[in-house]
Amino acid sequence: MSTISTQLRHFKEPTKDELTEIFFSVPPAALNAPQSGSATPSETLPGEEQLEKMEINAVLSMGVQGQEDSYAGKLYLLPPYLAFASLDRKSVRFTIPLSTIRRVERLNARAGIYALSLGLWHDQKIIVQLTSLRPSADAFCALLRNALKAELQRGQMKAVKSFVKTCYSEALVPDESSVGDNEREDGSLISEEKAGAPPRETTYHGGLGLKYKFPGDPKKLREASKIKLWTTYLRSHGRNLTLLRYPQCTRLVQVGLPNRLRGEMWETLSGSLYLRLANPGVYEQTLAQNTGRVTTSTEDIEKDLHRSLPEYAGYQNEEGIGALRRVLQAYSFKNPELGYCQAMNILAAAILIYMSEEQAFWLLGVLCDRLLPGYYSQSMHGTLLDQRVFESLVQRCLPMIHDHFQTVDVQLSVASLPWFLSLFINSMPMVFAFRIVDCFFCMGPKVLFQVGCAILKINGEKLLQIQDDGGFLNLMRDYFASLGESAHPTSADPRARAITRFQELLLVSFREFATITDESILSERRRFRADIIHSIESFSKRSAVRNLKSLERFSKDQAGMIYDALYKAMFLEPPPAMPAPPPAALFTTSGENEERPETRIGLRTFQCFLSEIATWARDETIILNGFQQRVDRTIAEHEFIDRLYFFWDTSCRGALSFQDLVSGLDGVMFNDLMENIEWFFNLHDKNKDGFLSKDEVLTLSESFLFIFRYEIGDAYLGAVSRFMTNAFEYGDALQPQHEDGEKSADGEKPPPSGSNTPYLNLATFRMVVLADEVLESFFETDLSASFRLEPVPDLELSASNNGLLGDIWSNIATADNKKFFNRFTDGIGKTIGKHQVIHRPSIGRYTNLEEPKAHESLLTPAMRSSPSKSSLRTEATASSTTLVSPSDPTPPSPPPKIPASSSEFSSLPMVQAANAALMERTPFAIDDAGDDDDTDEDSEDEEEDDDQVLDEVDAFLEENDSGLTAADKQVANDLLHAKPVK
Amino acid sequence: MAESASGSADKSVQVKLVLLGEAAVGKSSVVLRFVSNEFQANKEPTIGAAFLTQKCRLEDRVLRYEIWDTAGQERFHSLAPMYYRNAQAAVVVYDVTKASSLEKAKSWVKELQRQANPNIVIALAGNKVDLVLPSPSTSGTGSSSESEDEADDATATPGETPGADGQPESLRQVPREEAQAYASEAGLLFFETSAKTGEGVVEIFTEIAKKIPIEHILASTRGGAGRPGAAGARPGARQEGVNLEENPAKSKDACNC
Ligand SMILES: Nc1nc2c(ncn2[C@@H]2O[C@H](COP(=O)(O)OP(=O)(O)OP(=O)(O)O)[C@@H](O)[C@H]2O)c(=O)[nH]1
Ligand SMILES: [Mg+2]
Repeated sequence: MSTISTQLRHFKEPTKDELTEIFFSVPPAALNAPQSGSATPSETLPGEEQLEKMEINAVLSMGVQGQEDSYAGKLYLLPPYLAFASLDRKSVRFTIPLSTIRRVERLNARAGIYALSLGLWHDQKIIVQLTSLRPSADAFCALLRNALKAELQRGQMKAVKSFVKTCYSEALVPDESSVGDNEREDGSLISEEKAGAPPRETTYHGGLGLKYKFPGDPKKLREASKIKLWTTYLRSHGRNLTLLRYPQCTRLVQVGLPNRLRGEMWETLSGSLYLRLANPGVYEQTLAQNTGRVTTSTEDIEKDLHRSLPEYAGYQNEEGIGALRRVLQAYSFKNPELGYCQAMNILAAAILIYMSEEQAFWLLGVLCDRLLPGYYSQSMHGTLLDQRVFESLVQRCLPMIHDHFQTVDVQLSVASLPWFLSLFINSMPMVFAFRIVDCFFCMGPKVLFQVGCAILKINGEKLLQIQDDGGFLNLMRDYFASLGESAHPTSADPRARAITRFQELLLVSFREFATITDESILSERRRFRADIIHSIESFSKRSAVRNLKSLERFSKDQAGMIYDALYKAMFLEPPPAMPAPPPAALFTTSGENEERPETRIGLRTFQCFLSEIATWARDETIILNGFQQRVDRTIAEHEFIDRLYFFWDTSCRGALSFQDLVSGLDGVMFNDLMENIEWFFNLHDKNKDGFLSKDEVLTLSESFLFIFRYEIGDAYLGAVSRFMTNAFEYGDALQPQHEDGEKSADGEKPPPSGSNTPYLNLATFRMVVLADEVLESFFETDLSASFRLEPVPDLELSASNNGLLGDIWSNIATADNKKFFNRFTDGIGKTIGKHQVIHRPSIGRYTNLEEPKAHESLLTPAMRSSPSKSSLRTEATASSTTLVSPSDPTPPSPPPKIPASSSEFSSLPMVQAANAALMERTPFAIDDAGDDDDTDEDSEDEEEDDDQVLDEVDAFLEENDSGLTAADKQVANDLLHAKPVK
Repeated sequence: MAESASGSADKSVQVKLVLLGEAAVGKSSVVLRFVSNEFQANKEPTIGAAFLTQKCRLEDRVLRYEIWDTAGQERFHSLAPMYYRNAQAAVVVYDVTKASSLEKAKSWVKELQRQANPNIVIALAGNKVDLVLPSPSTSGTGSSSESEDEADDATATPGETPGADGQPESLRQVPREEAQAYASEAGLLFFETSAKTGEGVVEIFTEIAKKIPIEHILASTRGGAGRPGAAGARPGARQEGVNLEENPAKSKDACNC
């Protein structure tokens, strides 16, 4: 039982557009279209698809003076979103749905300055000064206007109102200055239910934590202070859909999100909020459409439901378990290719503490599909890749530890794999893991690598002492257990003593490993992807070969070559809908737990497979054009190949498995003369009655002609024509005997002329074949030898591993371009008269023109001289016109290869420079991080407590360069007082 | 319970042991029973692998098991070689109430025999026998009389198929004889176990200890020739010098040190 998937080959590096989408957490373009349950494509508005994207230089200011600095950066129109990032790509950024923009005004400011004032849903005003050239700014505004209009037409503006009510932050920040809800700036009215404005509907989504408590001690976590700080921030900087992320936001996240707000902030920061906004009701529909469906994934999920954070009270009853089941199942239905992977249960269980099922469903999607790409896939290639990337970062940033691990043969990933797979949730105490998760959603996946490196760095000295994997794991376990303890228990300074090991961990992560960026991770992934794919593939090859029920008479290497041919065929000609899980119907009734179904291939893939192995199953032409000599190969199609396909399908499944191919090839590749004759006979004896009908004799002759179609000279053609003559003579001669004689038992006496009745038995067939020298040698050795197991040259990976230059090369060296190149040289060859096309023979034994003589002894002269069946003879010669008789059949030498890859392009210099910069930093100073864990002092002044949180916040403070000169700042400031253009 | 690597260097022999088997057959539970003599009804699935150590006394010698408990789901399969490399012993676990898990076990055995350390000692364990009636031939050797059994039985397993006491025999999907026959054919040690009651658990590790070519490991580690088991095979060394305790109950006591 083996599944073979060529899916990994189809991996593509993200494009620039996709990277922008990822950066701004905007749903992939395909998902932006509204997905109403019974969505028919016609429902989408025609103009919608043409909404253009655009980016433009801009300076962002808050509408209230003095609140925040102005920041230079780029404004992106990504309909239906507007996004901004400051120049350093981290200080300031936002992503807001266009539907939350209530008012857009062009500001009347100094000449030459082009600025827009945007009024957002939550009453914030932001000012963007477009600093690109005037025409660009005009174009941007025009596109923005169109995009806003489209959103209005889609009714999205209306959707916002009810959507924000599902967000906890709305309850947190009382909306005192309620603007007329139904009025829009452009004069249109939002039609709505004029409910008597109930003061505050508590309809926000929440997690199990609201009922079963959140992990950790709220006092110790200083929940109240955090909530207060967040309330202040959210009041002035927008919230949920309109959140503007200024440096303070990141810092507040770094000190840990308050539990009640955590779920919403996770979905806002990760962008899953936008998916939930764009797909109302989809979660419930997904569940409803799949009620009662049983798949491998649902069975795996069932096993793990009671094994997900079992110590949490919410998962000790049906409420939590049910929520977990629904969320995991819904995801597996939405993405059946991935389905369910252990560790997803941990993630889902964790996020469900903080958010509703629907929120968790979308967040899980963003996690699995985007933030942790390929981590949970069938092959887990993303996990393996990032482990390799992590190892490489450790090698670079912590060379001593890396070298020591090499020396004592310790594998980093024995410890680090679960860190990445479950976001530290089952490695550390939950309260700490969730704080890493906070940062992860806010700052992106690089956080995992930074924290990973920091863990190793902090434990550096001890790590240099360990001798084996076990010692490594024990050390890590002890360290994680001690995260709540003081990092400097013996320090004289009480503030230093108060710093926990966990705080130290975060500080080291973000200060000392700031050089680990999204870009460096991307480029590292690019560097190792091909390696990883290759090792996964060779692993699956080994298991596929190992899992064969029978190797038959092949060696493991030979079976490996059969696998390679199959794999290549599957890549070129993917079997229809195969590795994807079968429809539910297959499973619903069977209570038996079926593993992933065995991979089986269809006829098209089989043709492709066979063309790799059997010389006659491909058309090979040798082309000489004066510049190059090459062999063009195409897949042959013939009834003979179809026949073989059904012949090998011994279990009558209409599709062949790897085992079927191995057994099928075994049935022919080891045969001697007699076995081959019998094999060929059986292959054409469709009803397996031991007789060929006349039709079948004809078909068999056609098979001969097909196999011999490119043979040089007349020898094979002659042999086939003699075969037909003889077969029919013998057949006719034997017919009367057969009728009255021993075989009359079958009662039915077929008329001799019937084309479908038993006609020629094996013995007669054998006699006819052995009467001919050419056919005899064909069955003696050539047939078996026409199946050749040769190493299949490695396929080009669609994703190149050679960085930028590699990408360019692989773009040039595509199959298409090669074709073009070939056509080009052929054209020249033709004009200079050097173009030659030679079909390569499949057998190639008899190349002389004289006909070998038939074996005299086996046939009576009368039979041979009989002129019957001349019609058949003409048919045979007619086929011969397709043969090309080249004048000079020189054996082809291997064609010159087009260089397919360039020398390795390395992204190293930049990273090295960054690394050098890292080394020059002053060592991490612990003193500027203030914290107070003294929880006994309940009476502590709240204000003071807030300050302490802020102290901690300050520890994370980095210089934020707004990228503006003083003069620019002045302009930005002026804009605050500018009047709208009339 | 886990002990640090230091201090035990003198007399003890380190044995790397790996647990393999389908998801949720009870690998982690078997290890937990062996290492801490506990049972948790809802054990979280293992992500990647877990690592535990336990000492086991055999005559005058102390074995220190370094146990790698791996993840069972099919897609974690490709990670397994990382954990079974250099292993001297393996316990391949299946669930007696689930026929498919034996098939998976067989494929693990096949893989180990072809890919792992050639001297590896493999034991096959049919876990969760507490869910089926003890057949007359299966009576656990003394281990079912442990005092903490009562407590364990009290902890209900919500995920478990109900009616374990109703018609217990119907839950069994793998006959003992069938697994036994396969095990002897493939040259494996064989046990039926229950992590819940403790039946058969210690026995696996004791029997493995007896079968491990200890002298060979000692020789290779003392010689400083890299990791134990990495050196070439010395098949003759297998039996020599290991005078085995035959009373399982006594070995068991020695084990829970
Ligand atoms: N009745 C019974 N239940 C058991 C026994 N052993 C394990 N279980 C239960 O079976 C479930 C799975 O046990 P685990 O030990 O986590 O299984 P595992 O093989 O480690 O699973 P993975 O880590 O996912 O591969 C848990 O709910 C256990 O409580 C047993 O001997 N008897
Ligand atoms: Mg486990």
